[in-house]
Amino acid sequence: MEMETLLKYEWGVMMPEFIILGVATILSLIDLFMPKDRNRRPLALFALTGVVVALVSLLSLLSVDVTSILGDTFRLDSFAKAFKVLLFLGGALVLLLSLHYEPQEGLLYRGEFYYLFLTALLGAMMMASSGDLITLFVGLELLSISSYILVGLRKKYALANESALKYVISGGIATAITLFGMSYIFGFTGTTNIKEIAQYLNETVDLGHQYVLALAFFLTLIGLSFKLAAAPFHMWAPDVYQGAPTPVTAFLSVVSKTAGFVIVLRLLVSVFAQIPAEGSNSPSMLLSLQDYIAFLAAVTMILGNTIALKQRNVKRMLAYSSIAHAGYVLVAFATLSMFMFDAVWFYLLAYLLMNFGAFAILQVVSAQSQSEDIQVFAGLYKRSPMMAVAMAIFLLSLAGIPGTAGFIGKVNIFLGAFVTEPAHYVLAAIMIATTVVSYVYYFGIFVQMFFRPVEDKRKIEWPIGIIVVVAVCAFGTILFGLFPSIAYDFLGQFDHFSDFLQ
Amino acid sequence: MMENAWLIPLFPLISFLLLLVVGKQLKERSAYVGMLLTFASFVGSLFVLNERLTMPTYKAEYVWLTIGTMKLTAGFEVSALNALMLLIVSLVSFLVHMYSKGYMHGDERFPVFYAYLGLFTFAMLGLVLSPNLLQTYIFWELVGLGSFLLIGFYFYKEEAKAAAKKAFIMTRIGDVGLLIGMILLFWQVGSFEYDEIFTAVANGDVSSSLLTLSAILIFVGAIGKSGQFPLHTWLPDAMEGPTPVSALIHAATMVAAGVYLVAALFPLYEASETAMMTVAIVGGFTAIFAASIGLVQKDIKRILAYSTVSQLGYMMLALGSAGYVAGVFHLMTHAFFKALLFLAAGSVIHAVHTQNIEEMGGLWRKMQLTAPLFLIGTLAISGFPLFSGFFSKDEILIAAWNHGHVGLFILAVIAAFFTAFYMFRLFFLVFTGEARLDAHHVHESPSVMTIPMMVLGVLAIGSGYVQTPWFGAFLGEWLTEGTHWHAHEEGPSWIMIVATMVSLLGIFVAWLMYGKKALARDWLSSRFPLLYNVLFNKYYVDEFYGSTVVYATKAVSILCQYIDRFLVEGMANLIAATASGIGRLGARLQNGQVQMYGTVTIIGLALLVVIFAVTGGYL
Repeated sequence: MEMETLLKYEWGVMMPEFIILGVATILSLIDLFMPKDRNRRPLALFALTGVVVALVSLLSLLSVDVTSILGDTFRLDSFAKAFKVLLFLGGALVLLLSLHYEPQEGLLYRGEFYYLFLTALLGAMMMASSGDLITLFVGLELLSISSYILVGLRKKYALANESALKYVISGGIATAITLFGMSYIFGFTGTTNIKEIAQYLNETVDLGHQYVLALAFFLTLIGLSFKLAAAPFHMWAPDVYQGAPTPVTAFLSVVSKTAGFVIVLRLLVSVFAQIPAEGSNSPSMLLSLQDYIAFLAAVTMILGNTIALKQRNVKRMLAYSSIAHAGYVLVAFATLSMFMFDAVWFYLLAYLLMNFGAFAILQVVSAQSQSEDIQVFAGLYKRSPMMAVAMAIFLLSLAGIPGTAGFIGKVNIFLGAFVTEPAHYVLAAIMIATTVVSYVYYFGIFVQMFFRPVEDKRKIEWPIGIIVVVAVCAFGTILFGLFPSIAYDFLGQFDHFSDFLQ
Repeated sequence: MMENAWLIPLFPLISFLLLLVVGKQLKERSAYVGMLLTFASFVGSLFVLNERLTMPTYKAEYVWLTIGTMKLTAGFEVSALNALMLLIVSLVSFLVHMYSKGYMHGDERFPVFYAYLGLFTFAMLGLVLSPNLLQTYIFWELVGLGSFLLIGFYFYKEEAKAAAKKAFIMTRIGDVGLLIGMILLFWQVGSFEYDEIFTAVANGDVSSSLLTLSAILIFVGAIGKSGQFPLHTWLPDAMEGPTPVSALIHAATMVAAGVYLVAALFPLYEASETAMMTVAIVGGFTAIFAASIGLVQKDIKRILAYSTVSQLGYMMLALGSAGYVAGVFHLMTHAFFKALLFLAAGSVIHAVHTQNIEEMGGLWRKMQLTAPLFLIGTLAISGFPLFSGFFSKDEILIAAWNHGHVGLFILAVIAAFFTAFYMFRLFFLVFTGEARLDAHHVHESPSVMTIPMMVLGVLAIGSGYVQTPWFGAFLGEWLTEGTHWHAHEEGPSWIMIVATMVSLLGIFVAWLMYGKKALARDWLSSRFPLLYNVLFNKYYVDEFYGSTVVYATKAVSILCQYIDRFLVEGMANLIAATASGIGRLGARLQNGQVQMYGTVTIIGLALLVVIFAVTGGYL
């Protein structure tokens, strides 16, 4: 490539990525040259500052029109902007959680802990912005590989090693399946650029190839369902979540899942919504396949919510709950309504707030009792009333009780299932029924906190970072639950992501 | 004042928040905070009601959320029904706040109790001001939460914990129906607003089958909240909560919310004959079903609980028989006399420290305030002439008869007999006869507890006179202003006579069985010599009843209880077992081996591809 063309690109649109990359690089260098015995906690604050600065630079880019650089491999459209906001919020909260994370045997590689979060975040950002299969895949792998290491960071802890290994193997299978699917797409079109793929398939595809294209669709969807922790690729989640350090678990269940939805929407909607369906009962191939997505969504909701009933380990329970929530978001995807992007974005925002809040409290409570059994919550209301009330807010939101962001998110998805033609009654019914099932296990924690006598009389120390996370999450959960229009006004500027395919 | 009606629910909310923060410092002085703020609500409600008597309905709202072209609003509405409900809820809540000061005295979580009461009152007042279904739903759930916290207040008791959970989950099952019905309506009408829904229904914009379906689904929500068959099982268990709570939640307010919802959506129900029929049948059946169970219970609060279920059934029957005024009227009178009965029962429990009526007896002399007040409540609920329950029950019976529900009418009359019988059985066992326990320490409750009971006692007698066949249908005319509904049901006069006879008969049978052996002979013969003599000569009827009717009713009621326990709860358990069965199966697949996880994925993928191939005709 000519130097001239390279300089002509509007590199400014990649500013947030450059900031994160720069901060991660500097952190790794500092970590390398810092004396071994020095406290590495300040590095987390440095990383946090980086994320905040990147967020600010992203916000300054909000008004920029759709721009694509590097030969259409990197694009900044409203989809990328909106979801990157979520990724940054998640990243900032994760860093606050990890600031105070202290496993019982100590954390040997604290520096790596912080900059690996940043590289993982960078991968997720690339996925949100990529316009090409190659960058999409590179982003995906950057996120995955960083996460593999993060999960196994507690080297001397057997469960963490097991988790990391399981995660790598499952991830390998997932990558293979995804790549297999992508190779079909490439084979058909001869290009890796998503826009060109869409154009080519829309104009010249032979309807006789429908079956092979559907195969490509299923392969990519199943492969990517690994990142969502959705059926049938959900089984790694409980084992990995349980063994990983709590901030990493929070990261996997929120940021990584958000990135998963980003890539699913980016890839599947732009490619398969453009292929005319055979028989032309439905306008596009994606619509003709929506029953299959709905099926996966239903299975995911049912499995996640029912198996969660059996868990006593809160981290495992939250793992299954996170599977169930992936199912709810998949409902929005399956219905392919006009508000799909809005509904997914809002739900992921609500999920980010309530889930991070719950993990923050779990991290402190379980660290003190050296246990993750549900009993560690016994009598929390007596020990720290404010935290118990905050946890109650998160649980109510996770359960989708009115007045919380989780409720608004569910209502949006639910209404979306009704406004489409034909409406998805069965799917909506399953969503409601499984939501009712979920009350049982969420209220299990409730009962422990408010109605059980205190088991452990020691006072709980709440580190400042955790308090900030809990306060922000509780405030956001209530705020968006009572005044969702604030979030919708923010989304309003994107005009239903109409520039998605431009 | 009507434009400021939104302030009314805020007072209890302030009480809740204030007590959460400073409750620990205030200790038992928290009661004054709660009382003062609910009293403010009560005064506000009085002003609002007074203004609404002469002015039209007031409504205010603003846009809360816009999704695409959909607009969701929030606001409040002061209609006649809402103004009446405001007054009932705030008054009973204030009286319960006052009563609890004596009843909960010495409880270490006293401020928490008052905080919860505030939360609940806020939710309930918010509910009755809602101008749309969505807001109703939000407060509806909040009411459920408040009730959950209050029932489980004695959480160190296993039963209370279980009861709180059961109440929450059982009502949630109903709420699912409400939610689906609500969304169906929204899908059809494009709005949650009551007004717009009614306009759409009146214009015939909603297909009749969907209208019926959504009306019935919403009624399922009402079934859950109002403890109607088959979702009533939580209500008797909920008696594990403190007694003032039972008076507030399980007599006057929350359980009435289901009836209120059907009344507020009355134009919707009216448009569907099937939905009306469903409401009437469920109500009528519940009325007799619960009354028959009430006959054999031994726990004073459980008897009252079953009687609440049965009385709510009456209200549903009235609404289902197009008796809008009758249903709302009975809701009001029932709120007062049932709250009175619960508070009086609480006073008894406070004195004797047991809830088993077979261990009580002879309390009339020891509790010279509670006993007559309890009697007033008992007479009112039994439909004794000139008490409030007499007028409202009469109105319901006439509505059922006029609407052509002869079968349901007969059921309701029999239920009225049962009601009179078991309520007086309760009364005689508790207050007359020999003292069955060592009762030196039995004493009357403090005045902070008896004053609220006296206020309710006055209302239990007097509140019936706003709607009588003799002095005019003031309440009905006000409630139905601007609609085509009957302000008063005109019915054959023999209905009133039958109702009176039935209630007197019930009282008499109860007396024969439980009162006669002791001082009861003088008591009755001096007051009603004629009646006494007539009945006295029919002495053998007593034994006849004892061996046949009572035996048969007992058998029926035991049968009902078995249906209740095994069929209804069995089905609930089956559903729960299915959920946990799937869970167990899924957990077993989760064997910790990563090969298994990969296999499941590949099988899932293969399955999808094969299904696609087969259904798409590619194979």
